Amino acid sequence: MRILTITWEYPPHIVGGLGRHVHNLSIHLASKGADVTVLSFTDGTSERHERADGVEIVRVNPYVMRYPDFVSWIEGLNMLMVERAADLGSFDLIHVHDWLTAYSGIALKHMWRRPLVATIHATELGRRKVLSNDSERHIHEMEWWLAYEAWKVICCSKYMMNEVHSSLGCPIDKISVIHNGYDPKLARANSAGMSKRKARTVLFVGRLVYEKGPHLLVEAASLLKDCRVIIVGDGAMRPYLEGLARKLGVSDRVTFTGHVDDETLLSIYEEASVLVIPSLYEPFGIVVLEAMSLGIPVIVSNTGGLDEIITDGRDGLKFQSGSPEELAKAIARILDDEGLRARLVENAKSRAKEFSWKTTADQTLKLYKKVLEEYNANDWKPKASARW
Amino acid sequence: MRDKERLHLARVMKMRAVMHISWEYPPWVVGGLSQELKSLLPEIAKRVRTMLVVRGDTDGVTEEEGVRIFKSASSIRSSPHILAYIHALNIDLLRGASAAIHEEGSVPLVHTHDWVSGIAGVYIKACFGAPLVTSVYTTELTRSKALGSLLSMGIFDIERHCFNRSDLVVVKSPEMKEHLKENFGLDGGKIALARNADELMEAYRGIQG
Repeated sequence: MRILTITWEYPPHIVGGLGRHVHNLSIHLASKGADVTVLSFTDGTSERHERADGVEIVRVNPYVMRYPDFVSWIEGLNMLMVERAADLGSFDLIHVHDWLTAYSGIALKHMWRRPLVATIHATELGRRKVLSNDSERHIHEMEWWLAYEAWKVICCSKYMMNEVHSSLGCPIDKISVIHNGYDPKLARANSAGMSKRKARTVLFVGRLVYEKGPHLLVEAASLLKDCRVIIVGDGAMRPYLEGLARKLGVSDRVTFTGHVDDETLLSIYEEASVLVIPSLYEPFGIVVLEAMSLGIPVIVSNTGGLDEIITDGRDGLKFQSGSPEELAKAIARILDDEGLRARLVENAKSRAKEFSWKTTADQTLKLYKKVLEEYNANDWKPKASARW
Repeated sequence: MRDKERLHLARVMKMRAVMHISWEYPPWVVGGLSQELKSLLPEIAKRVRTMLVVRGDTDGVTEEEGVRIFKSASSIRSSPHILAYIHALNIDLLRGASAAIHEEGSVPLVHTHDWVSGIAGVYIKACFGAPLVTSVYTTELTRSKALGSLLSMGIFDIERHCFNRSDLVVVKSPEMKEHLKENFGLDGGKIALARNADELMEAYRGIQG
């Protein structure tokens, strides 16, 4: 089975969960015998063509043209991707991720008459809550178009399935839920780290953007007396958050590390008593699985994929999304009750084992086979006599 | 030159079919281009099998004055500016062009008009090896006088990309030919002056050089 995966992010160019998903999925699909070619982006600092972990990687550089904004930058990238794809031979199936590569996926689908599979990781409406300008409306409509054109749509949680169904009008029977996985190497590398844990240290790991809810943790910290908070990550909200910590009188207890490398992150994880994921919008939340596998108790907001991964009181605690008061209560409860912490950690470790990139790849491969079965039984394909 | 391109150029010499791609054709009139094509295409159709892929309110296939018309509706409505809109429109035009090519079972010569339908031509050339002709009536430089914004620069760069990918660029005046040579670095041998159907057919035949 020859698969063309089109993605705007792939190592070494990683922005968020999408890139990690595509990277791990591609490697595991290749290990199962699928012939995977990844068509992605380069800014000139990575190879235009290489083979890594059994995956063929082809990159195009969009900086041969100028663009007035991000939308047209993405469109230019997609145009060059279509031209590059033409030289890569024929494929059984095209798989694109989010609106960012919808343009090239739809174009190739119609020219090649090959089935298109789309993973919709998140939506513009979900991220923004409201579509307030033409760029946001354009992205939203591209998501609709992608869901319309795709043979099957993959979402990483039931929450996202419902969102794609309700906000993009995609028929529910066209959507498959395939969960993300996590990298167990992190847990193995850290098996000796438990002993270093410091008392009453609350950790946040993520981009410092509104939808991740870091401000809720700073506010919760001001409601608690004796705990310190480490905020790992960077983003547009950082100056605001630092100001908020000063204003609330907790700047001596809240540390901002900025972006850190994996090794540093691991040592920070070792210090943490609890990991908090206070997201207001979270399609899945890979970071929660990493913390669970590392033996760190977790507190999550009751939204998105987090709500499906965690059962309150069994493998983590949940709080009402958006409420710093409820978050503060959950933090106090976990920090004050050693027995609860031990119980949650034990259950969380076994819950985390239910998720793996191998399972993600198995289920995706099964979906590919189903799509190709349907395609082969269908008339929509190039004529046998076609000459090109 | 790739094998499939060479193979197809040989086929073009037999002039099996020509596919024009435009963002306007009567009754959808935006500017002068629609009237220009309304006069030209029926004349071309008397000489070679002629298809037109054009923006429409709905998808559909009709035939007028010997021209087989594939209409393609816009899939999205909102775009932050004309450059973003044209990229999306060209994927819709490509849907119509792909339907036409798959119906034919073979690849025609593709003729696009200005940058607004040029991107679809670039796609078809890349994936089907179709010989590509682009008519240039105006450019961002002639319209705006100067590239005074990033949007203008972005449009200019797309124009340059489409013109460079074309096997033949067709103009209606010696002044435009000079403009393209001077501002886009195009080789004069790739630019043909064609003011009517006969001259255009002659230019098509000259593609192989």
